Amino acid sequence: MAHIQDLLTAIGLEPDRAQMFNMSAAMASAFVTVAQEMTERIARLGPNPLRGPLDTLTDSERGE
Amino acid sequence: MIVAEQKSLDEIKSLIGDAERVLVVGCGTCVTVCFAGGAREAAIVAASLRMATKLDGNGKDVTDVTVQRQCEWEYLDEIAEQIEGADLVLSLGCGIGVQAIAEHFPRKWVVPGLNTSFMGLPTEQGVWAERCAACGDCVLGLTGGICPIARCSKSLLNGPCGGSEGGHCEINPDIPCAWQLIYDRLSALGKLDLLMAIQPPKNWKTSRDGGPRKIVRDDLRLGAEEE
Ligand code: SF4
Ligand code: SF4
Repeated sequence: MAHIQDLLTAIGLEPDRAQMFNMSAAMASAFVTVAQEMTERIARLGPNPLRGPLDTLTDSERGE
Repeated sequence: MIVAEQKSLDEIKSLIGDAERVLVVGCGTCVTVCFAGGAREAAIVAASLRMATKLDGNGKDVTDVTVQRQCEWEYLDEIAEQIEGADLVLSLGCGIGVQAIAEHFPRKWVVPGLNTSFMGLPTEQGVWAERCAACGDCVLGLTGGICPIARCSKSLLNGPCGGSEGGHCEINPDIPCAWQLIYDRLSALGKLDLLMAIQPPKNWKTSRDGGPRKIVRDDLRLGAEEE
C-alpha cells in the first residue's frame, strides 16, 4: 500500500485517495466506519483532477 | 538473473522530454522476476505516465508492450511496427535490452526506465543480492561455490582481510564477509586444505579490465565453415 501511495504522489495525486483496510466479513460496523471515513476524505479532497469536475463527466464515468 | 530497479517517475518524465507518442517496452525474463520491468510494471509505468502528463497539462499517448526477451533481435521483430510508430521507446529491459533496441532500430530514440544493478538472486521475497561479477575466469571451484570477486568488498583472492569481524565485512557490516562464508563452507565440507594454496594475482584481462568482451563459437555460427 505504501508503494501505491508513493506512486500516486509521483504521479501528482494525493496519496490519501487510496487506503487499504483489513477486516472480516462479519465486521459490519467497522466497515461502515471506514466507508464513512473514506467518503469524507474523498469529498474533502474533491474530484479526481484527471477526470475533471463532476458536471463534465459522462454518465458512465460517473458510474451511472 | 540480471537484477534491476526502476528509475523514479520524475527521471523517466525528463528522459521522455517532449516526445508525444511513447512506447513502454517490458521484458519477460530477468526484470520480470525481479519485479522491475515485466508486463505488469510496463502497464503501471505507462498508466502512471498517462496520468502524470495529463496532470502536467500535456497528456501523452503512452502505450506498453512486453516481449519475451528484449536482448534478442528476433523478439524485437515482433514489435517492430509498434516501435516504428512511436516517437520514443522507454525500455524497461536491462541495459542490454535498451541497447538491443537501439542497435536494431537505428533511427529510433530509446531511453532506459531501469537502473541495471547486478547479477544475483533473490535471498528472500523482496530481497536480491549480488552473486557474480562476470570476471570471465571462474574461481568458484576453489572457494566452495562462494564468489570472492562479487561478494568480497575488496575482491580478495586470498582472504579474509584484517577487517573481517564476527562474520561481517568491514566495508559494510550489513553484508556477510565472503571469506568467512568461504571458510565456514570449506570447513563444513572438509576441504580447508584448499585455503593453504596461495592464489596468484588474477588475470583481469578476462574481466571488464580487458575491454569489451565477445565470445565467438565457430561451431554455432551460420556459414562459418564456408568462410
Ligand atoms: S569467480 Fe568470476 S565468474 Fe565465477 S562467480 Fe565470481 S565473478 Fe562470476
Ligand atoms: S571483511 Fe571479508 S568481505 Fe569484507 S573486504 Fe574483508 S575479506 Fe572481503
